[in-house]
This record gives sequence, C-alpha cells and structure tokens, in this order.
Amino acid sequence: MASVILKNLTKCWGDFIGVDNQSLDIQDHEFLVLLGPSGCGKTTTMRMIAGLEDPTDGEIWIGDRMVNDDLPKDRHVAMVFQNYGLYPHMTVFDNIAYPLRVRGTPKGEIEPRVKKAAGQVELIELLHRKPKALSGGQRQRVALARAIVRTPRVFLMDEPLSNLDAKLRVTMRAELKHLSRELKITTIYVTHDQIEAMTLADRIAVMKDGIIQQVGTPDEIYNDPASLFVAGFIGSPAMNLINGSVQDGYFVTTGGTKLVAVSVPDKPDVVLGVRADDMRISEEGEGDIDARIYAFEHTGEATLLTVQWGTQRVIVRGARHLRKEQGEIVSISLGSDHLYLFNPDTGKRIRG
Amino acid sequence: MRDNTLKYLLVLPAILVVFATAIWPLIESLRLSFTVGRFSVPGSLEQYLGWENFAWAFTQEPAFWNAVRVTAIYTVLTVGLTTTMALGLALLLAPGGKFRAGVQTILILPFAMSPALIGVSFRFMFNPEFGLFDAFFGVLIPPLADVSWLADPILAFAVCVMADVWGWIPFLTLVLIGGLASIPQDTIEAAQVDGASNWRVFKDITIPQLAPVLAVVIILKSIFSLKTFDQIFMLTNGGPGTATQTLSHYIYFNGMKYGQIGYAASVAWLMVIPMIVLAYAYTKFVFRKD
Ligand SMILES: Nc1ncnc2c1ncn2[C@@H]1O[C@H](COP(=O)(O)OP(=O)(O)OP(=O)(O)O)[C@@H](O)[C@H]1O
Ligand SMILES: [Mg+2]
Repeated sequence: MASVILKNLTKCWGDFIGVDNQSLDIQDHEFLVLLGPSGCGKTTTMRMIAGLEDPTDGEIWIGDRMVNDDLPKDRHVAMVFQNYGLYPHMTVFDNIAYPLRVRGTPKGEIEPRVKKAAGQVELIELLHRKPKALSGGQRQRVALARAIVRTPRVFLMDEPLSNLDAKLRVTMRAELKHLSRELKITTIYVTHDQIEAMTLADRIAVMKDGIIQQVGTPDEIYNDPASLFVAGFIGSPAMNLINGSVQDGYFVTTGGTKLVAVSVPDKPDVVLGVRADDMRISEEGEGDIDARIYAFEHTGEATLLTVQWGTQRVIVRGARHLRKEQGEIVSISLGSDHLYLFNPDTGKRIRG
Repeated sequence: MRDNTLKYLLVLPAILVVFATAIWPLIESLRLSFTVGRFSVPGSLEQYLGWENFAWAFTQEPAFWNAVRVTAIYTVLTVGLTTTMALGLALLLAPGGKFRAGVQTILILPFAMSPALIGVSFRFMFNPEFGLFDAFFGVLIPPLADVSWLADPILAFAVCVMADVWGWIPFLTLVLIGGLASIPQDTIEAAQVDGASNWRVFKDITIPQLAPVLAVVIILKSIFSLKTFDQIFMLTNGGPGTATQTLSHYIYFNGMKYGQIGYAASVAWLMVIPMIVLAYAYTKFVFRKD
C-alpha cells in the first residue's frame, strides 16, 4: 500500500517523445484510471512505473522511496499486461502461482490463494490447461488472476478487461471494484471503455500525445471538461461540437442560426459543446430549432437521433419509447445548463 | 507425355545419384560387414562369416573398447562444453543482451574453417617450439611451460576437445541466439514484475521456452561429435598411442591402413546404432507437433 508520485516524467525514443514531462500524484488507496486514445503513452507510463522501461528524465516515487533505480522485482507492483505475457510452458495454475512461488510464499498457502483468485475470475475449471488452449478472454483472465493473487503495493492494469464479452466484463468490473475497495491497494488502470472508467475511477487522468490533459473525478471530467479534447473524448456518444460565434449574448452557428443564449462576451470564433443527453426533443415548432432526422437508432435503453439543419449535424438522445422516421422534422431545445464553449484555436474552455 | 511420367522422369537423375553415392555404398558396406573382407586375401570380399566380425570387436579387441571409451568421453565433453559456452555467449549476444552487432559476424569465422584445417592450425599452435598456445599456457600456468602437449595422452585429448569446442561454438551460438530471440519478451518482463530474480527468470522462463531448440542443439552436436574424424586425423592422428583414437579413426585405420574392410564395415555399422537413436530423437524434436 503506497502512493505513486510521478515527477516530471519523460520518455523519449530518439526524437520521438512518448511521455512528455508529466507529473501526477496518486494517493494511497486511490483508483486512478488512465484514459486516452491509442498511442498516447498509457502503456509507456505503466511500464516506467513497473520498472520495465527506464525514464529518460524525471522521478518515480512509490511510497516514500524513489524507485528509479530499483529492479522491477523490488518495486512490489503487480501488472496485468495489455498482451497478457502468460508463461506458455506453464499451466494456468502454475501461471497464477508463479508470483507466489518466486516470493517464497509457504507451500500450504499457495493452492488456496490460487484457487481463490481463479474463482474470482471464473477460471476454476481451466486450472490444468496451458495458455495455448485458452480463448483470448480466458487468457486475459489468467493475467488478471496472476495479478490479484498477490497483495502488492500497487496494481497496474493495462486494459485488463478489453477482451471479455459484455456480460463477463460487467461481472469482472464489479469484482475489481469490490477488490480494490476491500484490499485498499493503489491501482492504476488503463481502459478505453468509458463506463469502466466512470464506474471504477476515484479519479481519471485523460492523456493525449504523452501529455495529461486533465485529472479529476469522473464527475469533473464528464461535467466540467477543461478542453475540447477531453470534452470530445469522454462520453458516448461523443459530445456534439458545433462551430459558430457569440453575438449579442447568443451562440450563432456558422450557418447563421441563432441557437441559444450564453453568458460570455461576444467572440467571433467559438465551438459550442453539448451532450446528446442535454438536449430535449419536441414536436416540430415547439423547441429552439427545427431539424430533419438524418438517422434514427434504437439502442435498447434509449433512442439516438442524428438530426441535421443546414450542414450541421448533432446527436440527441431521446426517450426509450420515442418512435420517429428518418426524414421527419423534430424540434430541438438546448437548456442553458451544460453548455460548454471552447476556443477552437487553443482547445481551451471559455468560461462565463 | 503425361504429367505423372514427366514428374518421375525429372527426379530420376537425382534418385540415381543418391542411389549410387549413398544407398548402394550403404548396402554394400552392410554386406561387407559379414565377410572376411581383407584387401590382401583374394576372394575374401565374398567369403561370409556370419556375425563373427561383430563378435571379434566385442571380445578380442581392446582397441575397439578403447575407441568406444575415447569417443564417449569426447562426445560428452565436447557436447557439454560447447552447449554451455554457446548458451552463455548467446545470452550475451541475443537481442537485449549486453553485446551485439559486429560481434555476431566475427563469431561465424571459426565455423567457416574446415575441421581438417582446424586440426592443422591447432597442431601448430601447440607445437612445443613455436606454438602460440603452448607459449601462452606456459606463461599463464608455469608448470605447463615445458610440456609437450600433443605427446601427453591426457593433454593431447584435451587439445582435441579444445579444438572441437572452438570450432563448434559459433554455429551453436547462432542457433541459440535465434532460439532466444523467439522467446516472447513479455513473458520475461512478466516474470520480472512477478518478483523473479535474473537467475529465476533464466531458470523458470528462458530455459523451458528454449528447451526444444536446446534439445536440437544437443542432439545435433552429439551426432557430429560421435563421427569426428578429420580434425583428430590432422591433429593427433589418434595418438599418442591410441589416446585420442575415436571410433571413426579406428574404423579408418582398420579399413584403409590394415586393409580389413570387412571388420571395419562391421564396426561402422555398430556406430550406426547410437546415430539412429539420435537421428530419431532429432526428427522428433524438429518435426514435433505441439
Ligand atoms: N520501444 C519503443 N520505441 C519507439 N516508440 C515506442 C516504443 N514503445 C512505444 N512507442 C511509442 O510510444 C507511443 C506510446 O505508446 P504506448 O504503448 O504507451 O501507447 P498506449 O497509450 O498504451 O496505446 P494503446 O491504447 O494503443 O495501448 C506510441 O506512439 C508508440 O508508437
Ligand atoms: Mg497500451
């Protein structure tokens, strides 16, 4: 159990900068989710914390010790590798037992602990198999079990559920949440799954091009994005981004439609961000703006309408029972809450 | 002409060559091994003896048993030394190892040398008057200063082993580098994070994954050690006395020098037995379905 502190951490390969001078304080017991597009440096950051990659510059602290010069085995972290890293010549049981064995766990303790970890990831029947005889999702669960069988100081999990089916993913998610609360082990977790990020994280760090864009609670990240990138990256469907300007206290689209009142000074170039959930749908003529339905989708728990006026398209979430046809005209209203304005050049949020 | 006929016609020359140079001599030598087979006795190549040649080797020939012993010790020593040293070198030279590039190219040079040439050059190097190694060992280990290496039974044997190890290390190192490179790096990293020391990673992760390649290396090297001839022939010619006389050398002496071709053939066929076992194991490992 320990905090993890990154101080001005940098990783370069030749001219290419994988992680760019990043600092981050992860509290003891905290569950931090790293979120970001492919290639932004998430795995690289994890590998530096685990000691598998030497930082070009900066310091890594685990607890009250700078670990830059410590070997991986002395850092007491458990890692779920993105590509599993299972031992092909060992059975599932031996794979999971390996970290216990090399750390000199008493013989009698090993079997019950392996069984318990295997049970948590629903692998009990496969303990005697070799990794080659497992499906991708089963292999991933072996990798997960091999990490949770230990009580390390820090968990590093690199997309540990990415290969599981939807149902198993929900179960495993709950299992991980429970485990992290129960064991109180500091966890750094990479995922591309928004729901995983929102439900598991104490805090989320959003990364792009080797730079952490914003760190905050899931609520802050979702409801108070600091930049255009974070706004566009978090949420499914992605936040609608509408180009336009602020004139006389109103947001006006590039096409000239006067959309909604905003409380910022007039400005020629702005981007308005609004989430699909923060708009209302009503019958033609009843809302702020009439638009034609470009596509109507039914997701099960809700409906998604892509509507278009001029060349502008936005996605709006509708009620579960809403039934509309493509080509129909509906009216959209934007509440004045939950509107986000951004500077398109810097990507920075413009606050009222 | 039908495709099928053409097909066989095209491979026919190759089959004939193989038959004439490999299969026929093989069968002929098997036949000879049951004959009196002396060059000096006319008609003896057709004079059949049954199993007598084989029995002779086992019961009447201390020199045969000496050759068996020499070959066995020689094989065990060269296989063991070459494999361990090649493995050590491969670990240093493998991707992610400590040294690399250029070294690998230089490494192959000894292997490019013919075994007979290796024998000749080692004989030079251990020459008591102007030998480089001889002088070198003399300075390093003073008691060895005035020793005539190739005149001492044990030292001559040691020189033979040294020459063989030197000649074979490069090739085996390259094969093992290939084997090491095919081990997924992430299994090694996973073990490091799991808490394994370098030694445990080597023992638990590297070696088991390298095992099939290592087995092939050991088997191949055993086959080559068993049949060693040219190097010994040039280096010591089996001497002093019969201290370095391997089976191949013994066979050569009996067949070519003493003209006892029937007896030589039967000893050669005795040597085939361990060879077949090794060759079988080799194909098992190379064409194993996992
Ligand atoms: N050994 C290396 N040499 C050079 N560049 C590398 C190396 N390892 C990673 N990179 C580069 O560093 C960047 C960050 O890689 P990283 O693996 O951290 O991405 P990631 O955020 O984990 O992406 P993903 O979500 O696809 O797993 C990538 O652009 C990658 O190409
Ligand atoms: Mg990654």
